Amino acid sequence: MLDRDNLGELFGKVGVGNQTMLGIMGNNRDVSVGEIFMIYSQRDGHERVFFFRVLGLENYLRQVDDMARVAGTLMVEGDSYLSGIERNMLLSVNGRMLGYAEQRGDEWRFMSPRRLPDHLADVYRPIRGKSDEEVCRMLCTQTDGNVYVGDLQVGETTLDVPVMIPSKFLPMHVGIFGSTGAGKSNLMMVLIKSIIDSNLDYLHSPDDEDKRISAFCIDPHDEFAKGVDKYGIQSVIEAMDDGTRKKVINDFYYLTTHKKATPREIKRYTKEIRILWEEIRPRDLYSIMEFTPQMSSFIDSQFNLHRERWVKEILDMEKDPDGTPSGTLNAVQRRLRFLERSPIFIESGLSVLGEIFEAMESGRILVVNTSLMSDMEQFLLTTIVTRTLSDMRRALKSSGNLGDFERQGNMRLPQPFFTKVKTQAKAFYGKGGVGDESEVRDPRALPVILVTVEEAPSILNPELMRGRSVFKDISRQGRKFNMGLLVVSQQVSVLDNVILSQMNTEINLRLGNEREIRACIENASVNISGFENEFRVMSRGEAILTASYREMPLPVKIPLFDTVFERDRDRYKGKGAKKSEKRVL
Amino acid sequence: MLEKILTDKFRELLRLVFADISNQQDRRDEEEFSKDEIRIKEQLLDTVEPYPPDTLLEDDFLVAAVDGSGTDNLMLLDDIRVHLLSTATVVLDTNTRSEKLFDPISAVALEECLGGQPHLDVHWHSGVRNDAQKKMAETLETIYPLKDIIDIILPFFRDDSNGAISSISDFTDTDYEKHLPELREMESLISRAQMLTNQVVHDELRKVSEYAAARNVLTSDLRPKYLLLDGALSIFMHFVKKYPSMPSGFILRELASLARKEGVVLCAVSKNHTIPFAHRIAKMAQDVFGEGTKWFCHLPCKDDPGGGLHIIEDRTYIPPRLAVPYLFSFSQDNRPSRIDFDRIWWLENVLVRGDPMATRQNEKALFRDLEFMSRDARWYGYPVSLALAHEACKLSYEDLRLAREICKDVRHEIGLDTRKTEPLRADYNL
Repeated sequence: MLDRDNLGELFGKVGVGNQTMLGIMGNNRDVSVGEIFMIYSQRDGHERVFFFRVLGLENYLRQVDDMARVAGTLMVEGDSYLSGIERNMLLSVNGRMLGYAEQRGDEWRFMSPRRLPDHLADVYRPIRGKSDEEVCRMLCTQTDGNVYVGDLQVGETTLDVPVMIPSKFLPMHVGIFGSTGAGKSNLMMVLIKSIIDSNLDYLHSPDDEDKRISAFCIDPHDEFAKGVDKYGIQSVIEAMDDGTRKKVINDFYYLTTHKKATPREIKRYTKEIRILWEEIRPRDLYSIMEFTPQMSSFIDSQFNLHRERWVKEILDMEKDPDGTPSGTLNAVQRRLRFLERSPIFIESGLSVLGEIFEAMESGRILVVNTSLMSDMEQFLLTTIVTRTLSDMRRALKSSGNLGDFERQGNMRLPQPFFTKVKTQAKAFYGKGGVGDESEVRDPRALPVILVTVEEAPSILNPELMRGRSVFKDISRQGRKFNMGLLVVSQQVSVLDNVILSQMNTEINLRLGNEREIRACIENASVNISGFENEFRVMSRGEAILTASYREMPLPVKIPLFDTVFERDRDRYKGKGAKKSEKRVL
Repeated sequence: MLEKILTDKFRELLRLVFADISNQQDRRDEEEFSKDEIRIKEQLLDTVEPYPPDTLLEDDFLVAAVDGSGTDNLMLLDDIRVHLLSTATVVLDTNTRSEKLFDPISAVALEECLGGQPHLDVHWHSGVRNDAQKKMAETLETIYPLKDIIDIILPFFRDDSNGAISSISDFTDTDYEKHLPELREMESLISRAQMLTNQVVHDELRKVSEYAAARNVLTSDLRPKYLLLDGALSIFMHFVKKYPSMPSGFILRELASLARKEGVVLCAVSKNHTIPFAHRIAKMAQDVFGEGTKWFCHLPCKDDPGGGLHIIEDRTYIPPRLAVPYLFSFSQDNRPSRIDFDRIWWLENVLVRGDPMATRQNEKALFRDLEFMSRDARWYGYPVSLALAHEACKLSYEDLRLAREICKDVRHEIGLDTRKTEPLRADYNL
């Protein structure tokens, strides 16, 4: 039997309702929309705890049918009073059933709302410090995982119940939606830290492959490394001793366009982003800008002719080749010209793509400062990285042994790039050795790769996704290659349906307008209809996490990065890395 | 039906009735009222001078109220009818010192003194087997805490005879002597036996239940200053025997007598009264004192100084026997209500013979308290303790539906047949 005292304070009784919406009559307490109550029910010998989320509140005075009349009388008849009113002042609370927890053996299972609590069942209001452990146990299937997002929010406060995302679901893509100022940057920093923490855990228990996560994190405002307030990812890196740091980031984690402009302490862990023209494929460009069929057929023909030299050849051309409609060359050149001006897309020199590949296959994070890049440069970089990583894994997935893999790689990837990375790739992908006969590993045994797509509507819109977008394939097949997209957007409504329908985890922060709220509710992986009011009153850092693999929409408060860093900073120090803060679910 | 109601013919029918009432009754009443008008305006009507909202009473006091509810049709088992009765007692503290005006005393304290609140009871009888009277007497004996019938009947005779009859031996040589054997049993106190319809039985049981609850307040340690009942302090008399035709009449007098002994002001408030020209008196008060003034108006009987009012001369139960009615209004938005006091108490505590001014001061002090206890914003102008008691005892349609369901369950549990509990007409969807 459950100790009901641990559920929190007794708040009220279930009044009316059905398995979806309930009305509760409770004490006249300072309840806020968004709070989660627990309803203890015993029906037919089944002990269950139903979870209920407050969506609306109404003052209720017993023995008062017409509140306005009473208020009017109090105003007009200045000498009037309300006898013994305190005990008749109640709060009528209505809201949504989120589901219920039921103990089977030693385990708590959580079910979608398909039952109803008993008549007049007791309703408990969780209290931080008292209810955390019990709630944690009951919601373990809803909150466990490797990547910490925040703490379970109950109204304006939180319980000490960490909400995590299991890494195995990251390849099924994550969406972060929120308007400016909703807390996206802080959330990204918290996620990056959580990924670092998960990789650290892997270092301590290497058998648990699930914990290895790589992330290519676009930082459009150059905030992540330095941080917004006091601490940033750099603080986490600096809190590590040399040995740990080497294992976690090797020799760099920060990518930028201009290394010289990077603060000294970060510079040590910085590499400049340089991508060779030969590493660009026509498809990369098709994924980020629109081309007419004539243009793309022209590009394709040039690519078939010149292979890796296609960009240079086109840019050097002076007139439309025979058979090409006039003006096509000019139009294509206009679109490619930004590559000539770009400091990061270079005709010759040293590319960082190989190192990015290596980092992503070793369970590392990369913070990519794109603040000095144009939109096109940022989108192309993301696309090239995504396509390269996915093509590498695709080649792996299509191979039986490393010999096959080499053939597949040569076929799918730019020759110079593949030649450069193939030895290293074989080391990652080979099961027993690096010989051609060595069996290859399943991509699912490799680190999960998460690629951030910032300002997602610019490249994940229906127009671009209709064509041969790299992201269309990733969104559909990323799971096979253990590779997911972390889609960051201010809007949901403008994203393409392919990506939205493939997205299995959504972190919904405060949204800008009614249209986005509606789109967000429609897109959510679990039914959150009725949460409209919630979105309207959300504060910075508050989110509703929905996931197709979970029954319950989870209200989450994302803590400030500085807070979590200060809490955990000791765990980064060497062998004695403290795991005291690690919460075992 | 609606097509008939909406016709001109129906309107014409109503027109005739109202014209008839106006011709026969109103005209006569109007004539009578004009005879009383000056007296009412100048002598009987006066204002209430309310306590200020932040008043601090020298002695805070308790106000108790009792109300009851019920149904004569909880269940119908062939010719047997099961009645459900509920009563609720509320005790409030004026509490001026802690600024929580008319605060209910703690539920624990109340339960300790009076048992669980509200109180539920059931009664059954068969109206067609000639056992209604017997069964009703049994139930009344069970309900009312005072068991000695002589103790129940004597207060009426004592009050009615001005103390001439104060023991059984005093019945000798009176008109009552021949009825003495009937006055010794509860069953024979029911002298309207031939009229024991379900409604009459139910009303009697309900009244006595309320009086029983009120008596429990008087015999408890609560010691309220006021004890309010819902309704009137009327007693229905047997015209031949000249004493109450039902036990409740005797019981009410027993209750009034005990209240006097305990120093508790017993009164009964009725919203639905039949005082003629109440609206005219209200209008008169408005004209004389101005709009929004709180007022009261004594309705004297023939024995009072100045005699009775013409308008109530031929009203059988106004003023009620052994009671003193007043009309009052503490809220300009509502129609006036009526309040009855025990006449014996009133003669001892309010009326000062030969000194109308002193009498008026006593009345004003009384209505000042009553007004003070009638300012709850939910029921402004009506005594809050009564309103709360009413809320506590009332049986809603849903309550009754559930009670009937439970009847069915209980019969099933104890192995009796499971008959339908809905009213019979429900079988035919009527």
